[in-house]
Amino acid sequence: MLEVKNLSKTYSGEGQDFQALSNVDLRVENGECVAIVGKSGSGKSTLMHLLACLDEPTEGSVIVDGRDISTLSERAKNTLRNERFGFVFQQFFLNGRDTVFENVALPLRIRGADMSELTSGASTALAAVGLSDKINKKAKDLSGGEKQRVCIARALVGKPGVIFADEPTGNLDSLNGAVVEDLLFKLNRDQGITIVIVTHDDDLAERCQRIIEMKDGQVVSERRGKNI
Amino acid sequence: MKSWDLIRIANRNLFRNKLRTFLTVAAIFVGSFTLTMTNGLGDGMRNYVESQVKNIESDRVIMVRRKIERPAGGPKAGAPEEYKETSKDDEGEEFDPNTFLLTIPQMEAVVRDLDGVKGITPRYQIKGEYITLDGQKKYKLELGVLSEGITQKTEAGHSINGQDQIVIPLGLARELDQNVASLIGKKVAISYKAPDGSFRSLPLEVVGVATKGFMTNYNSFVDAGTARKIHEDQRTGEGPDKFPGFTIQMATSDEAKIAAVKRSLDAKGFEADTIADTQKRTYDAIGIFKTGMSLFALIALLAASFGIINTLVIAVLERTKEIGLQKALGMSRGRIFAVFSLESVLIGFWGALLGTIGGIAVGLAANKVLIAAYAESFEGFSLFAFTLPSIVSVFALVSAVAFVAGVMPAFRASRLNPIESLRYE
Repeated sequence: MLEVKNLSKTYSGEGQDFQALSNVDLRVENGECVAIVGKSGSGKSTLMHLLACLDEPTEGSVIVDGRDISTLSERAKNTLRNERFGFVFQQFFLNGRDTVFENVALPLRIRGADMSELTSGASTALAAVGLSDKINKKAKDLSGGEKQRVCIARALVGKPGVIFADEPTGNLDSLNGAVVEDLLFKLNRDQGITIVIVTHDDDLAERCQRIIEMKDGQVVSERRGKNI
Repeated sequence: MKSWDLIRIANRNLFRNKLRTFLTVAAIFVGSFTLTMTNGLGDGMRNYVESQVKNIESDRVIMVRRKIERPAGGPKAGAPEEYKETSKDDEGEEFDPNTFLLTIPQMEAVVRDLDGVKGITPRYQIKGEYITLDGQKKYKLELGVLSEGITQKTEAGHSINGQDQIVIPLGLARELDQNVASLIGKKVAISYKAPDGSFRSLPLEVVGVATKGFMTNYNSFVDAGTARKIHEDQRTGEGPDKFPGFTIQMATSDEAKIAAVKRSLDAKGFEADTIADTQKRTYDAIGIFKTGMSLFALIALLAASFGIINTLVIAVLERTKEIGLQKALGMSRGRIFAVFSLESVLIGFWGALLGTIGGIAVGLAANKVLIAAYAESFEGFSLFAFTLPSIVSVFALVSAVAFVAGVMPAFRASRLNPIESLRYE
């Protein structure tokens, strides 16, 4: 369960401060599929970064599984992200010169897993995204859609409770985008993984259970999606 | 992340930029190569000098002479000295302030109350003319004295241990008989000039053939008793004998006692050195020479370390997004630091490996050439010597320099903010 209370984030710039978030309250239950939508600059990415413990709030608290993360050490936050969260980014962030296997296994390597765990973890995750045959390919030789599916496998490999997806279809054509979306929703449905999607694609947002709309650093509306 | 993974990743990152890594390693190579060569040269010289001076040994003699008060440097250097009026009797135990020469009674008075002194031997100034085995063929004689308590290494026979004995140099011995061992126990005659020009001769027993060394290449050594006889025949001056220095024989080799005697002698205005002291001075001089040369190698290393810093700073920039991702996925600052540090140390490692291998190869090749060219004049000499400790120290030093060079870029990498890094263009 993810929860933020009275969350504010201010970026101090030269001369003037920029308030990216102000007084946001939000609760995401386990197994939910939530879309955060809004225009660029609305604070949706900032909110996701704070939920994912990638950034520190200026005010308010972030509570993950009942623990206020401001009480956690740097190391504990690293462990939390590594073990509980998976990430899918718009720009993939794959290491093109590495094999698909190395890219997918990275979270387990960071965790310090041994080789048999790496092999079985990576092949299970790749099977889930239908790319088992690409395991020894270099990541740069994949198509865009395949790259994003590798990213989903990388997010999945650590058996996370939550996957954060930041514009997961933003760099994909509609066909590949649909495949990626289907994969994410399938993980949510079959494995009960909580999905938090940041997007300005309304069609994608509509497929989630809940849609949180943001504007100027605040939640302006919340509604149910079609959840298909 | 496992340590082995870190090393593997660091190595892989290096090999991805082969040219850049090669150039950085090349700079370290130059530094380690130079350091290996200068160390090798220093050790080679030390080995050679050691093999030469170690031919004369003693753990229980102290060589003394009066300190010379004339300033060697400073504004008064070279200034004429004033003659000091003295009423002192030449025969007494008081020192003559106008000379550094010493008489036997003066020296005896100095050592009388020193603990552990067995006896003193003056440094006789004697000159030989020739040496002959069969009375027919004569060889020029360079004469030295071996005081009691000092031994010299011999190729055959032994060092002087009694009266009327002589140890001859290896070159002369080979000239007399190719089988130098057969000379041991034979009688030779040495000849020297008296002040009136007449030749005098002494029959001596060959007890040893000296191993080569700085002092033993050409000199024949006689015992102190023989030296005294020659000295008495050759002395010209009136009054008591005066000597430039003495050898003090100690009854013990106990270092504390020898040190105490040296301190007392120093307080009384004498320079007192054991053979180990003089050897140490020679080694120190070589050590200073070696350090001086190594400084140039260190400058090369220092320049190379900036190459490492540059390479890593660029690598951090290039891999900003990768670092951002790794941090987002839970990699700790320490591990990020470790990856970059390891890359730095690996650059140092490869540079040191190639540098030492290259240095040793060139050094050994140079030795071969030199030995072929100069074997006659420098027996047992090799210009370069490579010892395990010096190689290990080159590795340790280069690794340390590389590590230090990597600290700044690695620290920068470890402090990167994951979100900003992922957005970095």
